[in-house]
Amino acid sequence: MASLTTPTRRHGSPEVRARHPRGADAAGRAESRTKTTLYWLGGTLAALVFLVPLAWSVLRSFQSNDAIVATSPNAGDLFSLTTANFRALFSSDLDILRSVGNSLVVAVCTAVLTAVVATLAGYGFGRFRFRGRNVLFGVVVVTMMVPFQAIITPLYLQMNAMGLTDSRLGLVLFYTTVNLPFGVFVMRNAFENIPAEIEDSARVDGAGTMRALVSVLRPLLIPGMATSALYAFLASWTEFLGALTFLTDDRLYTLPLALVNLQSGAYGAVNYGYLVAGAVVAMIPCIILYVALQRFYVAGLASGAVKG
Amino acid sequence: MELHRRTLLALGGLAGLSALLPSCASQLPEADVTAAGFGQDATGTVRLWCRAATVVGVRQVVDAFNASQKAVRVEVTPVLDGQYVTKLATAIRGGNVPDIVDIDDINSMLFIYRDSFTDLTPLVQQLGFADQLNPGQLALATRTGKHYGVPYIADNSMLFYNTELFEKAGLDPEDHTQDFDGLLEAARAIGALGDGTYGWSVDGNAAGILGFVVQPHIWAAKAPNIVGEVGDQRGAIADNDAVRRTFQLYRTMWDEKLMPQGNFSGDGSRWGADFRAGTVGLFPANFSVAALNATPEMRAKTGVVLLPGPDGGRATFAGGDNLCIPRGAANASGAWQFARFALDLPQQENLPAGGYIPVRSDAATAAYREKFPLAVAPLDGIAGAYAPTTLAYNLLFNQQDSPWIAAFRRAVFDGDLDGALRQGQKDFDRILEQAQL
Amino acid sequence: MSTLERNPRSLTHPPRTGLLLTLPALAFVTVFVLVPLVFAVYMSFTNWPLIGSYQFIGIGNYTAIASDPVFWKSVGYTLLYTVVVTVPILVLGYVLAVVVRANRRFATVFRTIFFVPYVIGLTTLSFLMVLEAQPGSGMVNVLLKALGITDGTTAWLADGPLATGLICVMIVWAVSGLTMVLLMGGMQGVPRDVYESAEMDGASWWQRERSITIPMLRRTIAMSLVISVIGSLLAFTQFYVLTRGGPGTDTQTVVMYVYQRGFVQLQLGAASALSIVLVVVIGLVTAAQFRLLREKD
Repeated sequence: MASLTTPTRRHGSPEVRARHPRGADAAGRAESRTKTTLYWLGGTLAALVFLVPLAWSVLRSFQSNDAIVATSPNAGDLFSLTTANFRALFSSDLDILRSVGNSLVVAVCTAVLTAVVATLAGYGFGRFRFRGRNVLFGVVVVTMMVPFQAIITPLYLQMNAMGLTDSRLGLVLFYTTVNLPFGVFVMRNAFENIPAEIEDSARVDGAGTMRALVSVLRPLLIPGMATSALYAFLASWTEFLGALTFLTDDRLYTLPLALVNLQSGAYGAVNYGYLVAGAVVAMIPCIILYVALQRFYVAGLASGAVKG
Repeated sequence: MELHRRTLLALGGLAGLSALLPSCASQLPEADVTAAGFGQDATGTVRLWCRAATVVGVRQVVDAFNASQKAVRVEVTPVLDGQYVTKLATAIRGGNVPDIVDIDDINSMLFIYRDSFTDLTPLVQQLGFADQLNPGQLALATRTGKHYGVPYIADNSMLFYNTELFEKAGLDPEDHTQDFDGLLEAARAIGALGDGTYGWSVDGNAAGILGFVVQPHIWAAKAPNIVGEVGDQRGAIADNDAVRRTFQLYRTMWDEKLMPQGNFSGDGSRWGADFRAGTVGLFPANFSVAALNATPEMRAKTGVVLLPGPDGGRATFAGGDNLCIPRGAANASGAWQFARFALDLPQQENLPAGGYIPVRSDAATAAYREKFPLAVAPLDGIAGAYAPTTLAYNLLFNQQDSPWIAAFRRAVFDGDLDGALRQGQKDFDRILEQAQL
Repeated sequence: MSTLERNPRSLTHPPRTGLLLTLPALAFVTVFVLVPLVFAVYMSFTNWPLIGSYQFIGIGNYTAIASDPVFWKSVGYTLLYTVVVTVPILVLGYVLAVVVRANRRFATVFRTIFFVPYVIGLTTLSFLMVLEAQPGSGMVNVLLKALGITDGTTAWLADGPLATGLICVMIVWAVSGLTMVLLMGGMQGVPRDVYESAEMDGASWWQRERSITIPMLRRTIAMSLVISVIGSLLAFTQFYVLTRGGPGTDTQTVVMYVYQRGFVQLQLGAASALSIVLVVVIGLVTAAQFRLLREKD
């Protein structure tokens, strides 16, 4: 259970080799008790270090602003909880729902588009031979090394000329580009790892390119697609610099821009209660999706590392 | 992963493509402000951008306007002060501009020089009260005799003092607010009262506030810290005696703990809470922070003067907002209808209720003086209102990474006055040089 | 890959279909990366303002960069930041990977937990840090005061070195999970029998790590280093949210300065020249790291 289960099993792949039976530990040299104790102690301690601050933030979001900004706060105030922050946040005054909606639309569309485009490209690069294939794949990989942060200025002008600034569609296309190289990389690996026989047998049955892709290969590709989609979702859900640069219309603001407004008190006095509640709202979808898809996701990232 | 020469060739081909990119920065069309019926009986929605810092005052006027008629509806969008220039510039670039902007007057010039605002000269001249408008603010919207905006709300920096603490310390507000010696003496005496009282307070990590309340001391000495005409400006920091003495005053007060420790990190989010609680003797701020949000009891024991220079003189920051209509505004007529409404006396006289000062000197009626005694000083001392005309104000003062706040902190909190002045001079010159057209 | 190589005249995999399948991806990359990149070169020779018209000014922007103290300060700061966070991220990531690679109960749960901050993302975490760094009321200060280390009034974000330290700690905490996952993937690729024979020889845990795991993980380590170094060199969000580059320009990173020149000072031409310099530097760093990685193989 501890090992990475990459559903695209390949013979001799590192993952498969790592899946040795649990009995191996017991049968091996007597595992020292100290080692086990160390594992539990270290693991639990580390888990606390990672979890407690986040849990604390969730608790914070139920505190009143007065308790949050109180110098030398007492426990009583910190644990008298209220939903006032969330109620204010979702009221028509602050209307965080609109920016949550914007972020959600943008991130979901980005995830879907990235997965689809990356799958097509992965199929093309992983399964077909055509002139210039290596060069073109090289181009895609090289773009991975061109940080969008560095070309944000010309990119802004170009998106502007194409009518893609102040537009959710523009953000989706931009985020897709940013996440595409990784997606193509993952999907090409996924295709290369599918035994040729499986695809061939589908084709013998007379399935066309698309049908082969959809019906036969789909189950084998889901992990890779889930990885690139989730990667794209997480990267675009609270992406900051691009949103800051490409959006001026506050009706289109995504969540991080709305949070800056809360942080700086664009609607009156700064209220840290609203800010922390907004940040907690931003955390929720990430955690839900991650926990639901983590089997694929972590495996996908890790296999990327193995392949280099 | 292989990189072939062909990749480079492909890149070269793209160079050709890029030349096709629309490179012309086509200017947005200007509304015809002389058209018959312009600014009257407009309809539809007017999108108004306002500074987040002045949203309360703006909302008040907008609500009154929306309630006064049905045909035009104004929608307010607050924009963070630190992002305002960026957002407006990108909106202009993108051709998706609001119909009217409530813009920090010191930033108007930046857009006027880039031909982004509509020339409102004929409309301004038609106003019956044109000569009553705040001259300092109007100047910040005027280039070569043409008005590209109209002052709307004034936001002036002043020196507020706690009369009760002055009395306790045996000080005379009149005498001790004339020059730096008096200020320091008063601050020391009030600090000596103990009991958690401080002589002075300022939010020392808020760029905008430091530009707003520290500079007038220097202007009061008639020693501007930016010299030259737009296009050929430089800083006057290192050899500016008024700057040196102003920083020195703050340094001394910080050093002698006449200012609260919290001033070091004060970022404006709780600006003035200490003064309103009655624990601070002297407090440079605006009407909104010092008086509006205070209790009536506190207001009763608050006095106000304009900010003095090292050896006397008085000045205030000619701050506030101008209303400008960007070129390309879809509903320029409705926008001007709102502007006229906002300038009418009933609205202007009531501005202090939202924390701001009128821009018309004829607003200081007897009733007004009675109602808002702490909002009268800037109107009476209008001649002392100043703000530099420069395209770089935002960069020099308002951004958190601006040289003004950097120099102030280095001089006051680190105690390195000479280094602060030297570095400040360099940074001012560099930014002014970069910002020339 | 050899089994996958297809005959160019393959009937089942016609080359044209392959090219067609890759076209959407190539279109994205061309329109949103390559064209802007070339365009940036062009712009960098102009004084292009955000609004208004532009002129060619030759290499003026580049000579200005050479003598721009703020740019070099931001370069120095970014490098310092990168150096400070890189090693802790690697070490912590490695330790966490050792914990979760074990074939034990709960290892998956631990792995999930360690990776959560990375999943939440730096933007959200930075906003949470804003209130915990406040003097007096923030948890950072409350805890340090409770431990008797400070008096709890430290203004973390108003001081360059303090803000940097706080951000570094936060970043190490937040992104070590990624390094952990990457290293774990590599560790699980190390054949079991290699360890077993080493254990037979009585090698201690650390000896085994040093002589087996680390050499076999060289590629993976290099790759996670590339990822974290580039991420640090391009840092923007955490600094924008927490310090806005202040006080002064003490915590201004290179990307912040590029943004500042382009979108606050409204000088797109000058910003483009900075962009080109940044792209070249990142390219060199990446190439150097990949070259090192290749030589070691």
